[in-house]
Amino acid sequence: MSDKVSASESPQPSSPAQPIAICMASSGTTQENASRTNSRRYGTGDSHSYLHRQVHFGDICTGSTNADGNSTAEIAANAPRYRRKSSTFIDGIHDVTADNDMAPAQLYSTMSGRLFHSGRIAIVMVGLPARGKTHICVSMARYLQWLGVKTRIFHLGDYRRATVGEGEDVPEDYFFPNASPASVMLRQKILKKCREDIYAWLNHDNGQVAIYDAVNPTASGRLSLAKEFAKHDVQTLFLESYVDDENLLRENARNVKINSPDFEGMDPDEAAKLYLRRIEMKIPIFETMTENELNYIKMINAGQKFFYNNVSFNYLSHRIVFYLTNTHIKSRTTFFVRAGVATEEESFKADAPLSEEGHNYARIMCETILSHREQERESLKEQGGPDVPLRPLSVWTSTRMRTLQTAEPFTERGYKVRQRSQMAQINPGVCEKLSERAIRRLYPDEVEKHELDPYHHRYPRAESYHDLAVRLEPIILELEREQNDLLIIAHESVLRVLYAYLMHCSTTAIPTLKFPRNEIIEIIPAAYQNEAKRILIPGLDPRIVPSSPEGVRISVPGESPALFPGGGLSSPPETALEGLTIGPGSSAPTLVTSPPPQKIVSTSKEAVEDKLLDQD
Amino acid sequence: MAPRANGIGVQVEDTKICVVMVGLPARGKSFIAQKAQRYLQWLSIDAQTFNVGNYRRTEAPHPSADFFDLGNAEGEKRRRAAAEAAMHDMLDWFRKGGVIGILDATNSTKERRKWVLDTCTKEGIEVLFVESKCDDESMIMANIRDVKLTSPDYAGQDPEQAAQDFHARIKNYEKVYKSLDEDGDENDYTYLKIMDVGSQVIINRIRDYLQSRVVYYLMNLHIRPRSVWLSRHGESLYNLDGRIGGDADLSTRGHQYAQKLPELVRDSVGEDRPLTVWTSTLKRTISTARFLPENYNQLQWKALDELDAGVCDGMTYQEIKDVYPEDFVQRDEDKYNYRYRGGESYRDVVIRLEPIIMELERSEDIIIVTHQAILRCIYAYFMKKDQSASPWMNVPLHTLIKLTPRAYGTEEQRFSADIPAVSTWRGKGSTAKHENPTAGASI
Repeated sequence: MSDKVSASESPQPSSPAQPIAICMASSGTTQENASRTNSRRYGTGDSHSYLHRQVHFGDICTGSTNADGNSTAEIAANAPRYRRKSSTFIDGIHDVTADNDMAPAQLYSTMSGRLFHSGRIAIVMVGLPARGKTHICVSMARYLQWLGVKTRIFHLGDYRRATVGEGEDVPEDYFFPNASPASVMLRQKILKKCREDIYAWLNHDNGQVAIYDAVNPTASGRLSLAKEFAKHDVQTLFLESYVDDENLLRENARNVKINSPDFEGMDPDEAAKLYLRRIEMKIPIFETMTENELNYIKMINAGQKFFYNNVSFNYLSHRIVFYLTNTHIKSRTTFFVRAGVATEEESFKADAPLSEEGHNYARIMCETILSHREQERESLKEQGGPDVPLRPLSVWTSTRMRTLQTAEPFTERGYKVRQRSQMAQINPGVCEKLSERAIRRLYPDEVEKHELDPYHHRYPRAESYHDLAVRLEPIILELEREQNDLLIIAHESVLRVLYAYLMHCSTTAIPTLKFPRNEIIEIIPAAYQNEAKRILIPGLDPRIVPSSPEGVRISVPGESPALFPGGGLSSPPETALEGLTIGPGSSAPTLVTSPPPQKIVSTSKEAVEDKLLDQD
Repeated sequence: MAPRANGIGVQVEDTKICVVMVGLPARGKSFIAQKAQRYLQWLSIDAQTFNVGNYRRTEAPHPSADFFDLGNAEGEKRRRAAAEAAMHDMLDWFRKGGVIGILDATNSTKERRKWVLDTCTKEGIEVLFVESKCDDESMIMANIRDVKLTSPDYAGQDPEQAAQDFHARIKNYEKVYKSLDEDGDENDYTYLKIMDVGSQVIINRIRDYLQSRVVYYLMNLHIRPRSVWLSRHGESLYNLDGRIGGDADLSTRGHQYAQKLPELVRDSVGEDRPLTVWTSTLKRTISTARFLPENYNQLQWKALDELDAGVCDGMTYQEIKDVYPEDFVQRDEDKYNYRYRGGESYRDVVIRLEPIIMELERSEDIIIVTHQAILRCIYAYFMKKDQSASPWMNVPLHTLIKLTPRAYGTEEQRFSADIPAVSTWRGKGSTAKHENPTAGASI
């Protein structure tokens, strides 16, 4: 039913796009200014002599950097993960956003752009490879950005690759305590570049949380790192992922090495063991955190237990911990589907039961999803994967009648269905049952405001998408917590917001996302970024396919009129098949004539492959 | 235990959690328990504390330390009976729809913890153990003097003798005390262990969202002594006109209050330590705080802005009544949940204030200069006011309120600036204008 097509739609890997080059150039300039300002600002007393040495060292490096033709900013910008912009097809977690964007659940904004009065924070990852560090970084960044905290991940691996060259390896003794001077120099150089980018971003680009993704194996190294950050007025919070559960370790290793040619044709368990042994040889010294003078969180066995050493935690750190207690690193899939058609489609207050077509839809949808899961399992087996039983499937609905009834075929088959009152659809307020024309006539001022900011604007008595996002926050944490595969049956407005969290869409795109009824969206989490697929539900009456008719029926800016002649969220059937591609700036017009794209929404394998084997 | 139905025969799932306190006496367990209860209720989650000591006290009002000796069979029997009585009442309360029950007792042995766990599990209630562990002798003695000597157990006794006796009581508990998972055989339990007032924390096997939420709150608590100062902005030009919302400047009398505020604050602080000032982002609060000493840090929070009255912003109550008569009535009926057209309800405000409360819990010495509705919500949190009453409380202008959280409640002091101001209070179901508050409305 669903085959993944390679990333031809993704703008990144295939096109070395011009706009990105421009971005690099400009941020490169900022970079240089940044380091100059830094030395001025901190150039007194102790830190002066410290900086002096740094600058001197920097001079040496600059020579070699120029020789490579790579400024530090370019390294970041060239890394596939730093895209200025992407379509809603792709998980945008690594995109660099414009400064004045509000995040989906952001409660307030400040002049500096920093929230919770928490100042600048560096979250420093600690842990050997195959401990799920990258996964933790990415989920943490996803959540913090959702709250409106400006967060960016700095993978040391990107800097290593940029320095030693793609595909090249670092010297054997790179991590050894008695490494050769050349290896020490190389290591220093890579670290320095990365840290300079962190300071520049925090101090001059209004960044708030920099996540520093590296192994940081020794206590002495961590202590001096904390000191160095303190000199730059940055608080440090260490986050160690510690695993002593052998099974978990092996499972992680199996997932990590899956793409590596080194292990081809090997028994998965053997390969995992070999991989772990290699790590041990490469990084012979690793000291788990016991430094009493540092702020640290030790996450043990993927969140089963947490240990904190608390010197000066603030609200934001606690919030991170709160989030982390709800995450896990087991892989599982989330499906999104719409509820069926109800007898009184137009009314929010009626909370009407499903119509006959609605029941029919529920049945076909249920069959489609179950057979899809079975097929996926079969094809995994054919590709030589292990013959494992399917993960259990949980079903979540809202407490609204139509979502409950849409879940009935699952209940009948014995699946566990849970109701979540927070997942009720967006409240249309005064717009209930009104046609778009009527709304325009009755509330011209409101329509004007709505068109300026469809995400935050709230019609009288209605909820805005922002209200909805804030209301859904507990659901997001529960979503992270869920270990089974998960099917969410909800109204389109709720799907938009949840999808936006998992795929990191901007607030301007959220109100325009489309979830036609004949598609199941499957989101597959990966350590580095999430993937989404579309699965077609066959044999539906085209009249029930289009986007929901019962939301606030006002067109939102950014929708191409060519695509939506009706001008409302209730798009006509022929365009509904285009799926959820329509965001501002996407290549929407071409979609009108081309046949509906098959299944894929995003693939991330290419972008992740090198990442997975990182050992920094 | 029949899960609640939502009217059409569909079952709504809900989680029930028993929070079981663990720790020696004088470790701040009751403090944690009552804070948690207050916070949850403020968020409209039904929570209740069951203090085993209170059950025991009805049987043995003034026990000596011997009572708590393990060798004292009679004492042991009575304490067991008290625990069973508390547990019995708690399970009853759960069956009636309670969501989070807090069992406040020492629960210092593995056997007792296992009994609590098994009993709750049988009823489908999740168990979250919360231990406060502290070995700092001076902190424990300070706690004994502050809290325990005012306990009903020692009513009318010589303080010095009482302290001695209490110390002996702790010694008796210490003989059998096992810290949570100390031997590694309670590793399957869900627990939060706070050591030395939060300098180290262990969280183990959190099983659902509500548990993580409770743990998150408890981690933000501290028991260092501190106070919170609250003030409304000085009288504004809108106050004079009886208008709500807006972003108006201060009146002449409002400016007088701003000038007097530093003196009021200094007198109430009592010493010269600097406070941190939080204001909203609106002119009238920033202006009110502008004369506070320069060594006070000042921060503006968007979350402290006045309740958004939506379409009614800038109107008088009479105008609202004229233009939106239906709304006016609806708001009086359920002021906590009423959301202004295009604006906010008190419930919305509580949600947006949650980060502020969390930040307040972890900070010391904060003065907040903000608005009537916001102060009502913050005040309701500290003073445990019911949400049906809190939106109707009178918070007078030109008055500084000092709140000092203590183990068993919050102390309140008021400092009036003696500068006249209009009343901005309006009684439920009354005429559509500001009036002088009735006696019951005062907070």
